[in-house]
Amino acid sequence: MRKYVKIIGLVMVAGIIAAIALYLFVYNKPHPDYAKAHPDFVLTADVLFHSYHSGESASANYTGAVLQVTGTIHKVESAGDQVIAVTVFEEGLFGDEGIRYAMLPDYQQKILQLSTGATLVIKGLCTGYNDTDVILEKCSIIE
Amino acid sequence: MKKTILFIVLGIALTNGVFAQRYLTKTGSVSFFSKAPLENLEAHNSQVNSALDLKTGDFVFKVLMKSFEFEKALMQEHFNENYVESDKYPNATFKGKVVNIGQLDLTKNGSYNAEVEGDLTIHGITRPVKETGTFEVKDGKVNGKSKFTILLADYNISVPAPVVDNIAKEIEITVDVMLEKVAE
Repeated sequence: MRKYVKIIGLVMVAGIIAAIALYLFVYNKPHPDYAKAHPDFVLTADVLFHSYHSGESASANYTGAVLQVTGTIHKVESAGDQVIAVTVFEEGLFGDEGIRYAMLPDYQQKILQLSTGATLVIKGLCTGYNDTDVILEKCSIIE
Repeated sequence: MKKTILFIVLGIALTNGVFAQRYLTKTGSVSFFSKAPLENLEAHNSQVNSALDLKTGDFVFKVLMKSFEFEKALMQEHFNENYVESDKYPNATFKGKVVNIGQLDLTKNGSYNAEVEGDLTIHGITRPVKETGTFEVKDGKVNGKSKFTILLADYNISVPAPVVDNIAKEIEITVDVMLEKVAE
């Protein structure tokens, strides 16, 4: 009898330890590595911008998704510790409107050295459209 | 996509030529902080659109909710899925005025106290707000800063029962925007 009690006790302790370990693992799980993430959609900058701009169901498809976008980089901006590449489509109330790619630190120097007008394939997390620009964050250069 | 009222207002203003002194940024910063018993919540967003008209005092913000970054991935997931429902309500906006703009000369270097009033929309709920802040002007750039508190319940943001005691009922919001003049 005492043996069974001991076994049940050990199983319970092991279960509690496993539950705590699982909780800590989930609670502290790291952010996705977007440079290595598989893209949910592969598309051109033109299709992406005009999908949002025209009011199609772009938000349902692309917001929150990892996108691989081929487009021309018209300018690169620095703001604080951010480096943002921009594909421009229109001129609006907030200046140039298009797609803004906020680059991951490992890719900032490369994009700063880029000559404007280059066509790149960039991958990043799409966080939505703010009525002027489509925003991609955690961006990396594919080619 | 249907443009928001915010941009319709901006459009009318531009058409009428009243935005002759527009100052803008697309890399404004909004962060929030919430002190909680188990662990403080903190998130940052550095992709904020903001515009200020020095002539009329019109002041607007637009914030993409999915651009808020948390230290912990799980917190970020809960924030987007359970609290602000960012798929359903992807933006937060502020549309208002610097009501004492007539007393401020933001074309000259210096620090100015600002009184701001307007409508803040979060989670699809719009409420009037009245806050204070500062504008620091240096070399033609206007750095707007403000810190204020909102109640989650005011914006119909409900906290799931299992963690209700671990999440503060109010959060402190910090705004920091470096506005630059738009070329005429």
